[in-house]
Amino acid sequence: MSVLKRIIFCLYYKDGFFYISRNFRLQKVGDREWIIKNFGFDKTSNYIDELIIILVKKEPSYSDFNNFLKDVFKLKKNIFIPITLGGGIRDFKISKKYFDNGADKILINTLIYRNKTVVEKIADIYGSQAICVMIDYKTTNNQHELYSSSGTHKESINFEGHLKYLNNSRCGEIILNSIDNDGNAEGINLSILKKINKKISQPMLIMGGAGKPEHLVQALNSEKISGVVTANLFNFLGEGLKIARLHAIKKKIPLAIF
Amino acid sequence: MGTKIPNSMTIKKNKIGIVDYGFGNITSLENALNYLKLDYTSLKNPKDLKNFSHLFLPGVGAFEAGINKLKKMKWDNKIHEFVKSGGYLFGICLGMQLLFKHGTNEKTNQEIKGLGFFEGKCEKFFTKGDNKLPLPHVGFNQVEHLNTKVWKNIKNPSYFYFVHSYRANYKKDQDKCLFTDYGERFTSFVEKSNIFGSQFHPEKSHLVGLELIKNFCELK
Repeated sequence: MSVLKRIIFCLYYKDGFFYISRNFRLQKVGDREWIIKNFGFDKTSNYIDELIIILVKKEPSYSDFNNFLKDVFKLKKNIFIPITLGGGIRDFKISKKYFDNGADKILINTLIYRNKTVVEKIADIYGSQAICVMIDYKTTNNQHELYSSSGTHKESINFEGHLKYLNNSRCGEIILNSIDNDGNAEGINLSILKKINKKISQPMLIMGGAGKPEHLVQALNSEKISGVVTANLFNFLGEGLKIARLHAIKKKIPLAIF
Repeated sequence: MGTKIPNSMTIKKNKIGIVDYGFGNITSLENALNYLKLDYTSLKNPKDLKNFSHLFLPGVGAFEAGINKLKKMKWDNKIHEFVKSGGYLFGICLGMQLLFKHGTNEKTNQEIKGLGFFEGKCEKFFTKGDNKLPLPHVGFNQVEHLNTKVWKNIKNPSYFYFVHSYRANYKKDQDKCLFTDYGERFTSFVEKSNIFGSQFHPEKSHLVGLELIKNFCELK
């Protein structure tokens, strides 16, 4: 049997509300109750492999983290799938807080550029499988520029260099997230995969631009990709993810059958 | 030494405990038990393991750190006593690996002693051969079961969530082992009388996982 692929859903959270993102600009959608009620989230989770929830508030305070985790706790009460939490992880203490509050994995981006020793420490304590690195990038003239701090800070390291570093690091998996395609629902940027010549040792996930089931299938068809991530609430919640999963299974994508 | 009356004989109702040794996330397991409306106690101190009939040993992370923590908190002997007295034990992920005789140090590859309920050693994937699938092995994967009591009403095969880079290297004398493929065949579930272990996370494996937890908790 071939290795199974994953369909992952991602939620953006800030101050008690969930958001959709378009080129990293956020738009408020609804609160937790609203998500559960209007999108039948408990049932939707039956059609995804994992859930990522990101705190998108800039410079979150202690109480921002606590409120975030309180809502996460309530949201995941009836959801029995792995959960990745991310956002604002600038030191070990915050990552610990996420793990203590039920994160199976944590998602980092800025931290990997700023403080590699903290990442090492997290790997020592929780294992490398618990660390997921997001690479936010923009594409200009076929060059991929990397961004941190929610797309506001351009990093000097190039894509190939960063990937090479990550390949030898103790990070468990990598998400390639296109800022250009973010939320546009026009399809996932697969051209970046051509830049990955060497086989990366970690599972590689891809994100940004999925708007319909066929977009997920196109990405999952790549042998370099272990899974797709979508944060497109409107296109995929409700029946959307069920339809997408069944469509992908029909198209012979190796996915778990729940 | 006098003959001890096994604890389980004095128990009428199932009493469920979770070993909370600060090694991995027990909130998902607690969530699952809450959802199933099963009473449980999370035990921080081995001294509190009194009159329990069912015990979960969860865990995420490195073998050596896990076993050291259990020993430091004096859980190791207590778990042995519990099993000897007939209590039902269920190790999950690292908790399952710790049930084996040996594990491996992540950096030095040195052999580390485990709890020793099952013959075999936990080693990194693909130490032999040239298979180079991504590690850790993350995601849902297939488990084909043997319809034993804990697998009652669970479709066959079923999919469970895995996340690990190390796997148990089974020995043939273990009767009720189940296997999963990830580049190689590895032990994904072990069962020996009152001792159970899953490499996968039933508490993160949708409704089939909950069914497995429920079946275990109902064993008598």
